[in-house]
Amino acid sequence: MAVAVGAERRKVAPRGTVMLAGIVACLGIAGKVTLARHVPTWLDFHVTHWVDKRSEWTVLHRGTNWFFTKISNPIAHALSSSYDAISWLLRTLRWPGVLAATFAIGSRTGGWKAATAGTVALAGCGVLQLWDHTMSTLALMIVAVIVSLVIGVPLGIWAGLNDAADRRMKAVLDAAQVMPAYVYLLPMVVLFGIGTPPAIVATVVFAVAPAVRLTSLGLRSVPVVASEVGSSFGCTKRQLLFKVQLPLARRAILLGLNQVIMMGFGVIVIAALVGTGGLGLDVLAGLQKVDVGRSFVPGLALVFTAIMLDRVTTGERSVARKSRFSLPPRMRRFRGLFSPLSVSVVVVVAKLLNVKSFPTRLTVDLAKPVNQAADWAQRHLRKGVPLVGGTGPISDFVVRDLLNPLRSLLTNRPWWVVVAVVALLAWASGGAKLAVVCTACLTGIAGLRTWELAMDTLSQVLVAVLISLALAIPIGVLSGRSDRVERGLRPLLDAAQVLPSFVYLVPVIFLFNVGRVPGIIASVIYALPPGIRLTSLGLRSVPISTREAAVSFGATPRQELLKVQLPLALRSVMLGVNQTIMTVLSMVIVAALIGAGGLGLEAVYGLTHGEIGRGVSGGLSIVALAIVLDRITQAWGNRSNT
Amino acid sequence: MTKVFRKSTGLALTAMLSLSLAACGSSSKKSSDTAAPTEAAPASDAVAVTEAPAAAPVTDAAGAAAPVTDAAAATAPASGAGISLAVNPWTGSAVNAHVAKVILESKLGTPTKLVDIDENATWPGLDSGQLDAVLEVWPSGHAKDKATYIDGKKTVVDIGLLGPKAKIGWYVPTSVLDAHPELATWEGFKDAAKAKLFATAESGDQGQFLMGDPSYVSYDEQIIKNLGLPLKFVVAGSEAAEITAIKQAVADSKPLLLQFWQPHWLHSKVKLTEIKLPAVTPECLASAAAKDGKYACDYPVDDLFKAASVKLEAKNAAAFNFLKKFQLTTEQQNEIAAMVDGDKVAADVAAKTWVDAHADVVSSWIS
Repeated sequence: MAVAVGAERRKVAPRGTVMLAGIVACLGIAGKVTLARHVPTWLDFHVTHWVDKRSEWTVLHRGTNWFFTKISNPIAHALSSSYDAISWLLRTLRWPGVLAATFAIGSRTGGWKAATAGTVALAGCGVLQLWDHTMSTLALMIVAVIVSLVIGVPLGIWAGLNDAADRRMKAVLDAAQVMPAYVYLLPMVVLFGIGTPPAIVATVVFAVAPAVRLTSLGLRSVPVVASEVGSSFGCTKRQLLFKVQLPLARRAILLGLNQVIMMGFGVIVIAALVGTGGLGLDVLAGLQKVDVGRSFVPGLALVFTAIMLDRVTTGERSVARKSRFSLPPRMRRFRGLFSPLSVSVVVVVAKLLNVKSFPTRLTVDLAKPVNQAADWAQRHLRKGVPLVGGTGPISDFVVRDLLNPLRSLLTNRPWWVVVAVVALLAWASGGAKLAVVCTACLTGIAGLRTWELAMDTLSQVLVAVLISLALAIPIGVLSGRSDRVERGLRPLLDAAQVLPSFVYLVPVIFLFNVGRVPGIIASVIYALPPGIRLTSLGLRSVPISTREAAVSFGATPRQELLKVQLPLALRSVMLGVNQTIMTVLSMVIVAALIGAGGLGLEAVYGLTHGEIGRGVSGGLSIVALAIVLDRITQAWGNRSNT
Repeated sequence: MTKVFRKSTGLALTAMLSLSLAACGSSSKKSSDTAAPTEAAPASDAVAVTEAPAAAPVTDAAGAAAPVTDAAAATAPASGAGISLAVNPWTGSAVNAHVAKVILESKLGTPTKLVDIDENATWPGLDSGQLDAVLEVWPSGHAKDKATYIDGKKTVVDIGLLGPKAKIGWYVPTSVLDAHPELATWEGFKDAAKAKLFATAESGDQGQFLMGDPSYVSYDEQIIKNLGLPLKFVVAGSEAAEITAIKQAVADSKPLLLQFWQPHWLHSKVKLTEIKLPAVTPECLASAAAKDGKYACDYPVDDLFKAASVKLEAKNAAAFNFLKKFQLTTEQQNEIAAMVDGDKVAADVAAKTWVDAHADVVSSWIS
């Protein structure tokens, strides 16, 4: 299968790329002729200037131009009305009603286990004294998730059925996922006003990618046999899609929904910058006062909300079909308990009893113990730890002996040497066309005038990706082969993905010194879940019959894993590698906010100083780096599969 | 798939049923809701109706603020449309906005929303009229916004100074000066051996100069270069990261040189001393304006000012005139900020306490 895809990819060479290749070749020769060490000054795409002009125009014509009155204002209006409607509904249901509705929906989609997990998680937000803010964040997420699915699943189906669409879309998705939300959040304020609309749009742009990717992956992983059987029984294309392919792709699509939710929560904290309030604001307020406890508690509420949404919407994924309604026989009579009627009864009773805010008797204040724990860690782990010496020395070691040499390796060479080496690597792993693409991307970075910063960022990204993969793939294999490990890991992975990195910023900086190391730690924590999840998904998608065949031919468990399961799961594992790289790169901005410098800092600096062009140049360079890293690893994966 | 569809129809039905029932419930209970002062939702709903359709949802920094709106709307005659004030993420900004809100609602009958928002996102909000005013702008960071919106597009108006002055500068923990008194001025840092006291893994052989949030104004790189100091400019990335670095340095009693500013709540917890830099000269300010990279002096004093949407005067003249007159001294702002930061009083409660105790000051703003 992979051979076919690889061959297909090499066969089709869009004319634009060929032309670009010519231009790049000329540039490359020119670079070699002048033998300049630094990027020559004439190699400048003037992107910064161009974007500045555009954004100036936008600011000046906002409110008068047809684009705003006819397109962006109606969109903003529709988004804020749906948000208002949903938050009105949540308020009207009051907390008992919301919990009852959660349980009702959860029990229908995932059985009583999922329903209980979701309800308990949501009640946890009330226990943390954050019910009202949780509801406004929840309303925001519901709108964003629905919009993401409405856009993402059809696009994913298209990409799953059409190779050309898949290829084009992949580039756009890479850009959408890696271009930090921070870069487009402020320009979106100019387009959509302040408040919920820009926040929802930014969340959708960031979160739609996994919906498309995993729908497409799901359709493509449907065994050819199944589709052929469908066709031979006389299915129309439409029937084949809806009756055979989509149902078989369900597991992947639901994982896509899970990832949409998790990624969406990654943006929600930044959304507080444009006036959406909610839990994100609480996290930022705690951060403002450098109060670990005060930002940890709302962060935990975010995790609870994410777990609730995930269990209630994708509970089905983990529950085998027949056990979905496996209530104990005696309870089965009370299935009506979960019906709409009973939710309504709960709501009316709550109204009659005039139940208002979440009862304070049930709440706990976690901020203090969290602060104490952080204090303890800061006092005892920094230095004087036997053997390893403590976090301070480790951090200094990483900076002095890992990051600095790698960075000087990249920046002290003439820029075209780096381009040439990368092009060679690309050629070796994916052929001439890939070499051209990579050369174009790196020359693009040079033309954006961000070369040195990009190399600084690249050195950090390489370290972070290597650490992430070294951890994610073994853990993913474990979790793919053991249900118990997967169940135990699931809440941890949810937390790692949802808990805003700002929450652990303060202790991490205190332990690892301000600089590049805290950024790498935050990136690794955030990039582990997709890698682990996709590796595990891949192993689990291998047909049991194939594995049994291997075992019956006398394969040891080790052989079965290495020779059968992993090779068959490679497509999914490579998607995991792709997502790890994308996630690390999407963290470049956040890492810059905790001292990583590089391209992220450039983007933040440009945006916040009204130099949008600089911000966009920084963002585009991050995207270019992402394309280079991703395409090379993907091609290498495809090749080693052949 | 059909199964999934059937299920989702079921879900939709569930949602619709409960929604309609809930709606019936709420309409029949409406009267009791408005009577209950702690019921926040209907009150803020009522305010939102009078707002522009795309207006941002509001979080009152303390949930208890909504009842005030309710009461004000009920007792004082509504003398104008409701307005919204921006709250930027620092205590001073919250203090100004909450004091203004208390007065607007109790004395002028103007329902007031507070919108927590980033300072850079504030300007497009003022431009579109979704925000009506911001009461504390630090001019050093917003020269470009001023040029674009106040002088250029004329959608935002400068409504005078707030009162307090701010000052950015170079700081070290005071304990550093006990051991090295010669580091009290910038000349002390010319000595490479002294500067090296500030070295870290990130700065290598040179001393480290730490800058906090990259969105804040900074001439530090130029100052270091133009004064020829053996220092390496390192960006912590955020104010929180910078403060953590300060706390860490103080805990380890290690030297640290950084950009910081007054007023800031940290000064009440950690003793920091400002380093003397060359005095501000007209040429120096000119080079800052020209962005020629030759800046080589101290930071000028910032006069904090207020800005409003150009639409505010037509929308609610009384509120506009009040905001124009509204001024706090540094001491007054610190007094309220101390209640919020030090005594952990909610900002709206602190503001109300202060307004009640200073009737004379308040009446001078609204007469």
